[in-house]
Amino acid sequence: MKATRLIYQYIPNICIVLYIILFVYAATSKFLDFYDFKVQLGQSPVLTAYADWVSWGIPLLELAIAGLFLFSKYVLLAFYASYSLMIMFTTYIIVILNFSDFIPCSCGGVLEKLSWTDHIIFNVIFIAIAVVGVKFSENQLNSKFGNL
Amino acid sequence: MKIKTLFILLILAVSSITVVVVLFLLSEHEVHRNNAFVRRYPHHPITKKYDLPIKYNSYYVSGFDNDILYLGNNTAPLHLLEVNLKTKDTNHIQIRMKSKDLTFQSLKVKMQPPYFFIMDGSVPCIFRGKIGDWNAHLWMKDKAYFNKAMPVDSNKIYINTISSKTQMTTLGLIERQENENINIVLNTDILEKQIDGVFDVDGIMTISPNTGTLGYVYFYRNQFMVMDSNLKLIERQHTIDTVQRVQIKVANLNDNQISKMKAPPMIVNKMAFMYNDLLLINSDRLGKYEDEDMLKEASIIDVYNWQKESYEFSFYFYHIGKESVKEFAVFNDYLIGLIDDKLSVYEIGKKQFNQVSIKQKTIRL
Repeated sequence: MKATRLIYQYIPNICIVLYIILFVYAATSKFLDFYDFKVQLGQSPVLTAYADWVSWGIPLLELAIAGLFLFSKYVLLAFYASYSLMIMFTTYIIVILNFSDFIPCSCGGVLEKLSWTDHIIFNVIFIAIAVVGVKFSENQLNSKFGNL
Repeated sequence: MKIKTLFILLILAVSSITVVVVLFLLSEHEVHRNNAFVRRYPHHPITKKYDLPIKYNSYYVSGFDNDILYLGNNTAPLHLLEVNLKTKDTNHIQIRMKSKDLTFQSLKVKMQPPYFFIMDGSVPCIFRGKIGDWNAHLWMKDKAYFNKAMPVDSNKIYINTISSKTQMTTLGLIERQENENINIVLNTDILEKQIDGVFDVDGIMTISPNTGTLGYVYFYRNQFMVMDSNLKLIERQHTIDTVQRVQIKVANLNDNQISKMKAPPMIVNKMAFMYNDLLLINSDRLGKYEDEDMLKEASIIDVYNWQKESYEFSFYFYHIGKESVKEFAVFNDYLIGLIDDKLSVYEIGKKQFNQVSIKQKTIRL
């Protein structure tokens, strides 16, 4: 019983850490290779027209969400935001895979090496993590356990 | 989990998906219609087959006959190189012609199966012969001078010449009737003067090999025209580039007798080739989000569908070493390019290139 409770306590933290790593990593690799990232976005069929601000907006948003995770008050919000963002990414992938002949990738770093199917699986796993995160941090907030 | 939480998650999911889909639809619209000058590069529209050494860099594309590509040679005007694109077999051909007392200056050989044409606009004269027989006979002489000419069919040549009436560059046709009378048709309305009507309207002539549709692409502005085989204007369209006004400086020397370019012009379109409904245009102008270094490795070719009035996509025609493609052409399943002393052969992607709608065309015309 104690062990399960321990795991239960750690689950939200694990989710948080995973997301922070993901977003910080993705944002940093985008900024490090910013020019390429912008070009790729510009050639993307979904975002061509908006590449200028999206190319800044996405990594900044990722960092902002990663930042929110650090404050227990905002963890729930951060999970909701991550969940939405991951759904957007996934939709983006599905849209360009199915409705466009043009398939550029601009995820940054190692993530770029993933195949499109792997990418979707990867995203779905993270969406699931966000859902789990929402569930647990909600409980924690309710029982005033939030202590990150 | 609470119902409320589930509800929030559902709402977030739906709105996230909507945002991306709406962005996609809006962006598609922008790129296709609004001259945003952003290129799109699909994956693998062309697949490299091979590079064939052809020994000399003086070859130009004469034309095609099925899988056979004919290359003419600027330094040996009556010599042709025949290349079977499937088997890579090459064969040298010497054209025979009786050209008593003619001094040629810029002789070009162009194919229009089953005939080949030998044309020199400075003499001026045109010879015609049968492919395979390679004996050329006089077809036209002294009727019209021309700068450049391309056969449209066995009795019609698409020319670019100076109109004696307007003293400006004009597109025209040389037609030979059954009684061997030569008929010259000039259409002075197609090329639109912006500066002097000679340099500023300069451009690239092209003919779709299958449909006989004529094309003209300006060098110095973002416009091209499509004409039917009788030189009637069908479409006047813009490329994705944004340069609408010609940016050249012309100087008049010797009391307006000779005009010359004062400054290096800004070339918007370098090369062009029409293939059914598609018009392929080579341009060195970079769009938004394009890396300048790319031009050191490849030439950019933009593909337009003039029937659909749309920009379709772009692809890279890669250099060999440091040499870039100096002429390219599309025929059947092949895209070929002349690069230095080599012939680059690609297979074209059926999905991207076969947007043929010959049926549609007859209805529209």
